[in-house]
Amino acid sequence: MSVRTSTPAPRRAPADDVGAGDESSPALRRAGDPAPSAPGPRSGRRDWRKALEITVLVGPALVVFLGFVIFPVVMAGYYGFFRWKGYGPPTDFIGLQNYATIFQDPTFHEALWHNVVIVVMSLVLQGPIALLLALLLNRPMRGQSAIRVLIFVPYVIAEVVVGTGWSLMLQSDGALNGLLEKVGLGALAEDWLSNPALAIWTLLAIITWKYIGFAVILFLAGLQGIPQELTEAAQIDGASYWQIQRRITLPLLGPTLRIWAFLSIIGSLQLFDLVYIIWGQYIASTAGTSTMATYMVANGRNAGNYGYGNAVAVVLFVISLVVALVYQRYVLRRDTAGALTERSER
Amino acid sequence: MMNRRSITRLVTLGAVAALAVSTLAGCGAGGGDSADGSVNLTFWHNSTTGDGKAYWQQTADDFEAEHPGVTIEIQAIQNEDMDGKLQTALNSGDAPDIFMARGGGKLAAVVEAGQVQDLTDALSDDTKAALGEASLAALSVDDKVYGVPSSVLPGGIYYSKDLFAQAGITETPTTFDELSDGVDKLKAAGIAPIALGAKDAWPAAHWYYFFVLRECSQDVVAALATDPSFSDECFLRAGEDLADFAATEPYNNGFLTTTAQQGAGSSAGLVANHKAAMELMGAWDPGVIASLTPDEQPLADLGWFPFPAVDGGDGDAGAMMGGVDGYSCHVDAPKECAEFLEFASQKQQQEAYAQAFVTLPANKDAQGVVTDPALQEVLASYNDAPYVSVWLDTLLGQNVGNALNVGVVDLLAGKGDAQGIVDAVEDAIKKG
Repeated sequence: MSVRTSTPAPRRAPADDVGAGDESSPALRRAGDPAPSAPGPRSGRRDWRKALEITVLVGPALVVFLGFVIFPVVMAGYYGFFRWKGYGPPTDFIGLQNYATIFQDPTFHEALWHNVVIVVMSLVLQGPIALLLALLLNRPMRGQSAIRVLIFVPYVIAEVVVGTGWSLMLQSDGALNGLLEKVGLGALAEDWLSNPALAIWTLLAIITWKYIGFAVILFLAGLQGIPQELTEAAQIDGASYWQIQRRITLPLLGPTLRIWAFLSIIGSLQLFDLVYIIWGQYIASTAGTSTMATYMVANGRNAGNYGYGNAVAVVLFVISLVVALVYQRYVLRRDTAGALTERSER
Repeated sequence: MMNRRSITRLVTLGAVAALAVSTLAGCGAGGGDSADGSVNLTFWHNSTTGDGKAYWQQTADDFEAEHPGVTIEIQAIQNEDMDGKLQTALNSGDAPDIFMARGGGKLAAVVEAGQVQDLTDALSDDTKAALGEASLAALSVDDKVYGVPSSVLPGGIYYSKDLFAQAGITETPTTFDELSDGVDKLKAAGIAPIALGAKDAWPAAHWYYFFVLRECSQDVVAALATDPSFSDECFLRAGEDLADFAATEPYNNGFLTTTAQQGAGSSAGLVANHKAAMELMGAWDPGVIASLTPDEQPLADLGWFPFPAVDGGDGDAGAMMGGVDGYSCHVDAPKECAEFLEFASQKQQQEAYAQAFVTLPANKDAQGVVTDPALQEVLASYNDAPYVSVWLDTLLGQNVGNALNVGVVDLLAGKGDAQGIVDAVEDAIKKG
């Protein structure tokens, strides 16, 4: 089959003007001619095979995508207009009232604010630390691969295990306070999880510990892709190590940084499991660590308000989608040009 | 291009997927009669450990022995997961045949949805008489019985007699001044006065419920079943009472992240291991504490006293609050479900129940086996109580009840006040 490129280039023209199934008369299109947006209608065995191929290859993925992504989103939008306890089909249509309640609920405002804090602080905390670690681990050193593995270990451990482990260690009479006591720093002991002024920082520390390995691995992969010749040339020109990192490595690592930030933002907006495991079903909002997702579960499923919960799901979906689209449009634009968007004009 | 091999693979994959889907569809939770006359019942309860779990297994085995062809599949579900899991199962129409019921708004919602059997005529008159009108009424909606009670669980304060003696407290408190006095003495003796599992929210909310019981009149509390609004100012007074009491810091350190029943670090575990002196709980507590003592035996020095009186409240000082645990049949369950519940309500089974769970059986004929001194105190108060209210969160239903519980935790954490509790209830009413 022909390979489609996005630049106008000599290519095999569609054989619509020739006999059906005739593959022997390719006409060479003049360079500069506008490429047709789609191949013209064709018939015959080859087209049939191509259609089959597309159906077979794309079909299952499309069905799964429509069935498990698009359909639930549409259904959530539908249920969100009802006051509905989840039994039988919804009947009590209340229009946008659920949405009005969401946006007037101070508990939701708090959850949203916690999400914003987590998004920003995840970038601010994890980015620089991961970058420094990646730069360090990119230099030949003893025990390099062992350290790489160790940094990556927290990311591999299941959230449930991480949450349970940390919540046990950080309890008021847990291991951390015990340790502080033993080394004579008892004055520093705190209610790490239940002090509302502190809990969100505890959560951020755990998130950083958990996800830093992922950032480091991504950055390391990015660093491997930067040609050695550039650094060597700069060294010959007398650039210092930090100058090389600042002027060559960082700019070339840009695409990796931007895609990591994207993943981090989306992950932070949808954060659920760690909070739910450490603070349980009820007290996340009291401790000041609730997120939109825990709010959704607490006020939707656990409260038995399925209509309201669906409305919250829609709000969460729309917020994430808008953030993702804005980020794609303005930050990832160059990195994804030609793949996700039309090639940008420069 | 696609070659033959990849097509073969694809077909195989499709076949595997189809098989997986059909297998999944086949293993639903619902039981029922099958062609050969055998009956399969699924049964969800919340006793995940110890004697309670063994009791249900034994009772199911005994029932199966008497009814050949009947199989009961038991699933023990952690208490905190029960409500959500059950609701999901009921919504999906794939519910267990026998499941736990606690009355109030929660049961009313399931009844309204037509998901539960009317057992009024299924129970024999003897059984009904033995269970008594009061406990059956707790599991009834519009005078129809939708659940069979297994135990009555009035609440009050459980305490360790040894720790009270150690702190120099000679008499159990009957007023709040005396309770505060006791708290001071316990603190001075280096003992956490009151264990509180606020991570689960409802144990913290118990404190508010009991203040409501003392501050509000019987009619105001009873009216909540039909109108969940907290407009009477006694609800505010109850919140202020709680705020004042909480200001004396009577609870264990880190009570906000303490669970109620899971492990030695939970509030029941703290009492079981003599790390805290008191806990405000329902009559299931001696059993829970027993499962968490180092030797898994009932706590020898466990005592009980009623929630102290409050100055100037509208409620009766002898009134009690508590729940009734029972079991309901799903609407599609075979008739053996009701037979099983009837079987479990008989004197012999109820005596075993009371001993296994270290609690008060619903069958009055079986109450003779209650030997635990703390429970005997509870039983005496219960039989004398002028009226008994259901736990407020059960009464209000899941939506408003959960919000109320969280509002109380907010107050205890210093994040909200008495008005905040009332607001939380009003906000929740809008959501459901």
